[in-house]
Amino acid sequence: MIKYLLKRMATYVVMIFLTTSAGYFLAVSTMKPALIEQERIPRPTPEQVAHSLALKGLDPAMSPWDRYVQWLTGIVTRWDWGMSPAGGSVNAAFGDRVWVSTRLFIAAIFLTLVIGVALGVFTAARQYKASDRVITSYSYLTYIVPAPIAYFLVQLAAIWINDATGQQIFFVTGISTPGVEPGWPAFVDLVAHYVVPTFAITLVGWGGYQIAQRQYLLDNVNADFVRTARAKGLTRNQAIRRHALRVSFIPVAQTIAFTVPAIFAGGFFAEAIFAWPGVGFWSIDAIGKQDVNAATATLAYGSVIFAVGAILADLATTLVDPRVRVS
Amino acid sequence: MSTVDAVQPETEADVLTTDDGVVIAKGVIIFRRFLRNKTAVAGLILFLALTVFSLVGQFLTPWTKNDIDPAFIGEGPSADHFFGTTQAGVDLYVLMVEGVRTSILIGLIVGVGSMLVAAVYGCVMAFYGGKVDKVMLFILEALIMMPSLLVVAVVTSGNGGDLKDALPSWFLLTVVLLVFGWMGAARLIRSISMSLIERDYVKAARYMGVSTWRIVWKHLIPNIGSLLVLEITRGVTLAILSEVAYSFIGIGIKPPDMSLGILIGQASQQVSSFPWMFWFPLLAMFALTGSMAMMNDGLRDAFDPSSSSVGKAKKSRKARKNTVEAAA
Repeated sequence: MIKYLLKRMATYVVMIFLTTSAGYFLAVSTMKPALIEQERIPRPTPEQVAHSLALKGLDPAMSPWDRYVQWLTGIVTRWDWGMSPAGGSVNAAFGDRVWVSTRLFIAAIFLTLVIGVALGVFTAARQYKASDRVITSYSYLTYIVPAPIAYFLVQLAAIWINDATGQQIFFVTGISTPGVEPGWPAFVDLVAHYVVPTFAITLVGWGGYQIAQRQYLLDNVNADFVRTARAKGLTRNQAIRRHALRVSFIPVAQTIAFTVPAIFAGGFFAEAIFAWPGVGFWSIDAIGKQDVNAATATLAYGSVIFAVGAILADLATTLVDPRVRVS
Repeated sequence: MSTVDAVQPETEADVLTTDDGVVIAKGVIIFRRFLRNKTAVAGLILFLALTVFSLVGQFLTPWTKNDIDPAFIGEGPSADHFFGTTQAGVDLYVLMVEGVRTSILIGLIVGVGSMLVAAVYGCVMAFYGGKVDKVMLFILEALIMMPSLLVVAVVTSGNGGDLKDALPSWFLLTVVLLVFGWMGAARLIRSISMSLIERDYVKAARYMGVSTWRIVWKHLIPNIGSLLVLEITRGVTLAILSEVAYSFIGIGIKPPDMSLGILIGQASQQVSSFPWMFWFPLLAMFALTGSMAMMNDGLRDAFDPSSSSVGKAKKSRKARKNTVEAAA
């Protein structure tokens, strides 16, 4: 099993390298930081701009290939992801923000998965009853709402509750209030800022898992091996729990890989809307500033997130699926 | 995802014969089943109405998107301005006509285009298998790994770039959505085609020396046809959603191009002072994606040979009696 996972990891490393390189070429050939520098006051001469960019390793006169080699050498030899046009290292800026994003994603991904699978099982056991219809309709509804709009509506609702009660119950932007005492007040403050974005991501995220889990479980409920188990004297619920559940989770586990990037993209939107200074917020900002190195670093981060999701999916599959253990 | 039942590949299978000996073409059956699903028909009508609105809506109002009405600046809906005006005094109705048109256009191009790419790619992978399959799967997974959100932002962002000056932003967005929109469907088509290729009649055709393209055309396409139609409606919905999502946070389509996403995004800044500017485009978007979802459901039922959710065609009492007598 470990050998199998290592092999998968090696494939993903190659893929991350390829996607990041492709992203670098795309960014370096479409982004022109020199034009932004021209907007400064006092206006620098083109020579000054070229000189200042060249000092940061962003020389616009070099060919994309030479810049790629220079950039790649920096990463391989010094783990240096380059500099921004405005100065400042990408490594430092990324390091500050990655934990903000991770905090947001981990809770949301975990809640989404647990709630989605639990509700999927719940609704499959009550097929076509009122509770099933309500929950499944809701899940289908989340398919036709764009994530940022849903987050924005949650934000509006939170503001409305704040206004209605006349108190600051929810914080709809930012990650913390400046000047809060450390310890318990800081923790309360953190949770208050955390609740709304996490709630928003989870709310629109679990629909996909719910529908998938319900569908796969229903496909298995009437399978021969479940009937055999019932014939041996198990109740319907026992048979489902001990036999159908595990089998139906296998395809759901495999979709984790493709849901993690979706939540990641959702996290981008959430960061943009709730003004969380995470990687997503930063990358959109950096792209607006024509920052080639920062844009590529976030692309690489996105690919790594996908690979982590895919490996988690493989791991989950190997844990629940006895057939995979041989490899 | 319904499992694919092996449809007999020959043309005789495309027709069914009723008890009275009347022959009904398969397309007619699917069409009738679709019509029997009220929700799906309502979805279709809603979608057609929105399309007509986006095409001829312009002629129902004297305003254009370049007109500024100084008498109505940031005013709510009225007889002069059906959906009110923006804070610059531009008629919202006209902007929405163009916005809906852009969204439908992007949706249709991306939905149909990405399905075609997915079908060809998935079938080729399944058909050749082995090394070809491995390499193509690698490319496919690498594309899934690229965060398309960032690529959209890079391609459509800011100033500069010869490409960006030459092409309108909605076209750039369409291209990116096409490039990143087909992978999921291709995986699905690959796995279904693989199981089809293992079927005996495909093996038989291969041994008989039937050409590759004929096998794909005659055996694979008819069997995955229903899936392809569903992928189109799903792809259209996804493309519209992506456009709105990206434009909402300020990447994707840029003014002067107009889309529902831009209208919603711009209006979200002052939703309390100009609520109509936010809610009208948002309702239009829900109508658009909702109509696709309603149709999707009806299409799935219409194509699913074992569907029983829309009631079977009722036999007349006489026909039933005949069957009983024939059996006896």
